[in-house]
Amino acid sequence: MTNRTLLILLGPVAGLAMFAGSVKMASSFSSSGYQAPAPAAAPATAPGPPGAPAVPAAAQGTPAAAEGLPAEKNAVPAPAPPKPYQEAQYRAFPVVGSRVAIWMVAQLHLLFAAFVLAIPIFAFIVEAIGYKTGDLRYDRLAHEFTKLLSVSFSLTATFGAALTFMLIILYPRFTNYMMSVFSPTFLPYVLLFFAEAFFLYTYYYGWGKFHPLVHLGLGLGLNLVGTGIMVIANSWLTFMMSPRGVAPDGAVISVWEAVFNFTWMPINVHRMIANVAFGGSVAAAYAAFKFLQATTDEERAHYDWMGYIGNFVAISAFLPLPFAGYWLAKEIYAYSQTLGLTMMGGAFSWLFIIQAILIGNLFLAANYYLWLGMGRVEGAQPFQKVIKYLLGAIVICFMVWATPRSIIATVSEVRAMRGSTHPILGFLGVMSAKNTAVNILILTTFMSFLLYRRTGKIATVAWAKTGNVVQLTIFAAVAAFVIFLGVYGYFVEATVRIKLSVPQVLSVLCAMMSITAIDVFLFRGAKKTGEVRWGRVPPISQYVLIFIAVTFTWLMGLMGYVRSGLRQHWHVYGVIRDRSPDAFTPTLGFATEVVSATVLLFFLLIGVVFWIASLHDRPDFERKPKALREGAPVAPKSPVATQGT
Amino acid sequence: MRIPHIFRIGALVVATTGFYTYVGQMVPQKEVQPPTDTVLSDDMSPADMAKVGRSIMEGKGICLTCHTIGKTGALRFPDLAGVAIRARTRKPGMSDVEYFAETLYDPTAYVVAGFPPAMPQMSAPPFSLTDKEILCVIAALQSLGGTPTVTMHTTHRFTGKGAAPAGAPAPTPTTAPGAAP
Repeated sequence: MTNRTLLILLGPVAGLAMFAGSVKMASSFSSSGYQAPAPAAAPATAPGPPGAPAVPAAAQGTPAAAEGLPAEKNAVPAPAPPKPYQEAQYRAFPVVGSRVAIWMVAQLHLLFAAFVLAIPIFAFIVEAIGYKTGDLRYDRLAHEFTKLLSVSFSLTATFGAALTFMLIILYPRFTNYMMSVFSPTFLPYVLLFFAEAFFLYTYYYGWGKFHPLVHLGLGLGLNLVGTGIMVIANSWLTFMMSPRGVAPDGAVISVWEAVFNFTWMPINVHRMIANVAFGGSVAAAYAAFKFLQATTDEERAHYDWMGYIGNFVAISAFLPLPFAGYWLAKEIYAYSQTLGLTMMGGAFSWLFIIQAILIGNLFLAANYYLWLGMGRVEGAQPFQKVIKYLLGAIVICFMVWATPRSIIATVSEVRAMRGSTHPILGFLGVMSAKNTAVNILILTTFMSFLLYRRTGKIATVAWAKTGNVVQLTIFAAVAAFVIFLGVYGYFVEATVRIKLSVPQVLSVLCAMMSITAIDVFLFRGAKKTGEVRWGRVPPISQYVLIFIAVTFTWLMGLMGYVRSGLRQHWHVYGVIRDRSPDAFTPTLGFATEVVSATVLLFFLLIGVVFWIASLHDRPDFERKPKALREGAPVAPKSPVATQGT
Repeated sequence: MRIPHIFRIGALVVATTGFYTYVGQMVPQKEVQPPTDTVLSDDMSPADMAKVGRSIMEGKGICLTCHTIGKTGALRFPDLAGVAIRARTRKPGMSDVEYFAETLYDPTAYVVAGFPPAMPQMSAPPFSLTDKEILCVIAALQSLGGTPTVTMHTTHRFTGKGAAPAGAPAPTPTTAPGAAP
């Protein structure tokens, strides 16, 4: 039997096995309803048909009953009374439990959804740049990005459907409540989903088939519709965290208020930016994967460039992300101080130390990639001297940010420190120090970008020297201002201190925007001192890109956990209590294990997406003539077949 | 032997996630259980009430997430050491019990100077402390620098405005079929 025949036979067998498995799983779910502990006293009688005398429970189905009076012996056993319909509140998922099952499926759905929303954003921008400049490389790059879309879209929809079904099966009463609150949003959601499928497939399959402006219009439509889908779905999950528009008992007062709750808009903005950062990093990882497999210099040059653009998009979106995070945190506090304090000072406070390590790693890796990339530009040596100072600043900021307020210590150490706070390091564990560190970290990474941008160029405008001095002054002044506010925070009351983060953030944003604006004009028509030799980077730079993608994904998983876990024992915070066996908040160690398992699954699946996308570039399969396969000599081509060649 | 890139990439992904999982194991591990209903009897002594109140402050009420006891310096919220003494004179003409009750039922009525108005209403969700649980918390606060005087029969102007005790009939939802009991 040939391999091909075996494969054909295995297909239906695998299909049948999957069908049987699905039926088995569905029946297992529906029969494993969670029951509250039964009261100690058992009912004395079993229910019977209406009007019939009650039968002692002990007599039912027992051998004694079967061997009773002769009349009863010959009687046909009565059919079991119909089981009354009972709405299950919860059902159990085998092995891992309902919460972990929902958690992992939801996270996988969100990761693919983020990717599917992000890729069209920068594919559209890159295509627009290509149209505007006439540089075909951009068009090819945008097309290459969209190759990853169609399979990812299918996976997003599959995980979305799995999540919906699992919610209905495992949390039926809660899901029913959410459906009753948000029913008016479902039809627009479905219609937008159809529209997204239309735009996505016409955008991808219509590449090069329409006028470029028509094609760009399709890309714009895809982005608008995708954003619409995201904001509708965001209203459901943000309502669970900061409910509005419902009475204390859950009764709906206003659907619009339920949608436009406290955290809806901050989550919309935060997710939009985070999706771009995440999508950029995964696209850069794809380029790195292709770079490492490339066999020609031309391929290496293309994928090096693609990786650079993907990473540039990721880090550019990543820099303003903490500011969107501030806004979200501010709205969480505005909705409920308790929720905010649980996040920053309670059960989840140590999670932000893990977050600091992740973000510190992201900054370090992003800067390292840029510094490695300077090697591909001729004349970059003067800038490479500055790297050690930038590295020093990043490491110091990283250490400050990752310093916890209360440290893990033995009893004797706690006694020696007179508390769980270290007498010196404890000062670095407060928000004044951490806000300062993250703002300086952002400024330093921005400086790395700026230096990279300048490699191989000399400004030729008449005001070049003044421009440089102004840029440096802005940078130094803002850095000094941020540090001053950080120190000042130690000497003022809490009401003043918590407001200092706003001027810190705004000054850094202003510095980045003003310095970039000056730089654009400063290097307009600049003289080139060296060419960018794409593809001439050490392979380790490509592993750095993959590391960044994994770290971004892990960070998204962790922050998804804190956003959802913050509700603790509430399905809808303060309105619908979670009374399932999973109502407790797990340890951070357990949470990180679940996040890691999800991330590994995601990368396994994204590997499949990369592989499917790469099939596009493979040469078509050519079936050899039968004679050649059997080793017979090939007949010469007929003169007719070779005509015109 | 040259290791194929695909295996190196796989190893990098596993090592990175493994490292972050390890970091997750290094931080303090605490499983937070949903709050349980406190068992209270009408004949509890003020000292017993103070003990129960302290456990509510540490658990269901999560008071000590924000408040400290016996700390100085740059504080986020008022320190509670000696609060029993301050409560007697905080608002002229108001007893310490009335003052404590006001801070727990209507916390924005008086905000200590220099601190944000961030204290939540303890009788409302997500805490939903009952009148009797709040009396126990008041006893615990009285013990911080003083001696508890409240009993289970003490009344104040907020009595009756606490959350329904466990087992009491829940309000019937009008259009919320999924509302949990």
